[in-house]
Amino acid sequence: MVQLAQLLVNGLVFSSIIILGAIGLSLVYSIADFANFAHGDLMTAGAFGALVAAGVLGGDPPTLFGVTLPSLPIPGADIVLFELPLALYVGILVGMAFAALVAVVTQRFIYEPLDAGSIELLITSIGVALGYRAIVQLGFGSGQRTYEIERTGRIEWLQDLLGIAVTPRDVIILGLTAVLVIGLHTLLQYTTLGRKMRATADNADLARVSGIRTGEVILAMWVIGGALAAAGGVFLGLDTLVRPRMGFDILLVVFAAVILGGIGSVYGAMLGGLVIGMAHELTPAIPFVSVEYSSAVAFILMVVILLVRPKGIMGEVT
Amino acid sequence: MAEVADEATDGTDGTDDTGDTGERWIFAVFGVVALVLLVLLATGRITLAYLLPTVALVGMWALLALGLNVQWGYAGLINFSVAAFWGVGMYSVALFTTAGSPLGINQGFFVAVVVAVVASTVLALLIGIPTLRLRTDYLAIASLGLAEVVRLVILNERNITAGSQGISVDALFPGLVTFLDALFAPDAPAFPYRGLVDLLLVSIAVALVYLFLRRVHRSPWGRLMRTIRSDEDLAEALGKNTYQYKMQAFVVGSILMALAGVFYAYQFRYVAPGDLEPINTFYVWVAVILGGTGSNRGAVVGAFTIILIREGTRFLGGLGLGLDFAALRLLLVGLLIIVVVRYRSEGLLPPRRELIWPAAREDDR
Repeated sequence: MVQLAQLLVNGLVFSSIIILGAIGLSLVYSIADFANFAHGDLMTAGAFGALVAAGVLGGDPPTLFGVTLPSLPIPGADIVLFELPLALYVGILVGMAFAALVAVVTQRFIYEPLDAGSIELLITSIGVALGYRAIVQLGFGSGQRTYEIERTGRIEWLQDLLGIAVTPRDVIILGLTAVLVIGLHTLLQYTTLGRKMRATADNADLARVSGIRTGEVILAMWVIGGALAAAGGVFLGLDTLVRPRMGFDILLVVFAAVILGGIGSVYGAMLGGLVIGMAHELTPAIPFVSVEYSSAVAFILMVVILLVRPKGIMGEVT
Repeated sequence: MAEVADEATDGTDGTDDTGDTGERWIFAVFGVVALVLLVLLATGRITLAYLLPTVALVGMWALLALGLNVQWGYAGLINFSVAAFWGVGMYSVALFTTAGSPLGINQGFFVAVVVAVVASTVLALLIGIPTLRLRTDYLAIASLGLAEVVRLVILNERNITAGSQGISVDALFPGLVTFLDALFAPDAPAFPYRGLVDLLLVSIAVALVYLFLRRVHRSPWGRLMRTIRSDEDLAEALGKNTYQYKMQAFVVGSILMALAGVFYAYQFRYVAPGDLEPINTFYVWVAVILGGTGSNRGAVVGAFTIILIREGTRFLGGLGLGLDFAALRLLLVGLLIIVVVRYRSEGLLPPRRELIWPAAREDDR
């Protein structure tokens, strides 16, 4: 029982990562109307952006393309909150901004001039994915890194109370994800931009003739998708390691979440992310399946969904 | 059917001329490359022991590209698990025809071919059944997952596949090599007959597959494929079971990829899970879209470009500039995909006259 609760907590942490990736992927699917295979590598870009920023601001600059970056420590960079130094919190924000910028630049210079159907965009996005990863690999090498935080181990009183091992890192990942998801919900439901985005996702032509500047909406979508992907990437890096392949490797799981939730539905993506994340971490509890196959479990779930209900949980019926 | 009509007019209303000059230009480039290779060979800069296996590899990649062309070029199916089907072919050889097989089965070449065909068909059906009734992008996503699962299984089921350690493969038809050696140059053992035999065998396979696909592409089946690709609703309105036809194209393409894997195992003589990395899938994609989607000639031309990328980056990596050539390959493949889709979406050798039945073409003139 305790073991199951432990797996559930681990599952929640992993779900957070998947949800953050799945929201952006789902937004692109509904508004730009293509399966963006570069989304995983956008997560990688954000994770590395945060790594660079945290290093520069924390006084331990990384080497990029063979050049050591300058050290610009911010005051109080070493103040540690929930295991993470202040520099890394700022780094997360920088990483989010960086990934948003990368997404917008890619849209502006690659997807927008293409002016083609969703299939051409899909194939182009594979090229973009390989390009992102190649640049990260050329810049940082193909090795793995960490955010170099001091791991303090589990929270004692939770361990005593419930017998569940939870690290402060887990708490911060869950907390920040909750903040981001609630923020997105507020944006989508209660602001003009959110209404415009929902209108464009629903029917782009109708939105355009109603006077919505869909170009702006698409930019906003890339900014939001990129920023959330970056947050997911950083959390993935905190949970595991920061590697050039991290995003591409997790892309399948994120896609599984999007399909499970119903392609194009942001709230479906959140729900799908939760289920897939849980399934991914609960793999050890499934008899006869070894841990190496956790992404295979996500894949099997996806195939079953495609067979039974291809529109997903929250997908439109039409 | 609409597309067929378009292609026919393309052939007659002047665009054909520009197509022909473009094609001439491409063949000129290949002529120059061949000439340079001959000169390098004559001056001893490269050896036959390098050239023959490399050209044999071109044939192997051509088989892969022809397979993907059936799926993407004929039927418009996006398959991102080329490497998985390729791996199925490789491991059919490694597990069923080698002395080092963990299964302890050591049969011949034809057993490997049968296993490869059966296994790739089963795998194609498994992934095709849930996805081929849905929009094209579902297959793209699911096939990417399939590739990962196949790779994970091969990597982790160590007692069946030897895992990351890989399996050495015996040479194909060793008797043929000794026979050639004895026939032509018993005194000059330096001649790379192994490469020659590999090249001969793969050339025969490519030629047979090419002729088969050319015939099939012009047949009613091929016309229906092109109709499905350009307007699936139209094909359904004509009463065709498009799911069934797409499945046929998917299975045929997958079998060709597995056959390429069989040849690769014998050429490289070693298989490992690393061969199933997604990058190999995207090489084949570059070959097909660069060569010309739907064009069999294009697929073969595309195979040459893969070898150029691979050997070119290896050369750059060997210069000792500290360049990570795996990353360079990724970058090149990525950029090529973006650039080709943007600037030359029809590819270098788009299918034009080759789709028209020869007799009908003569009537046109």
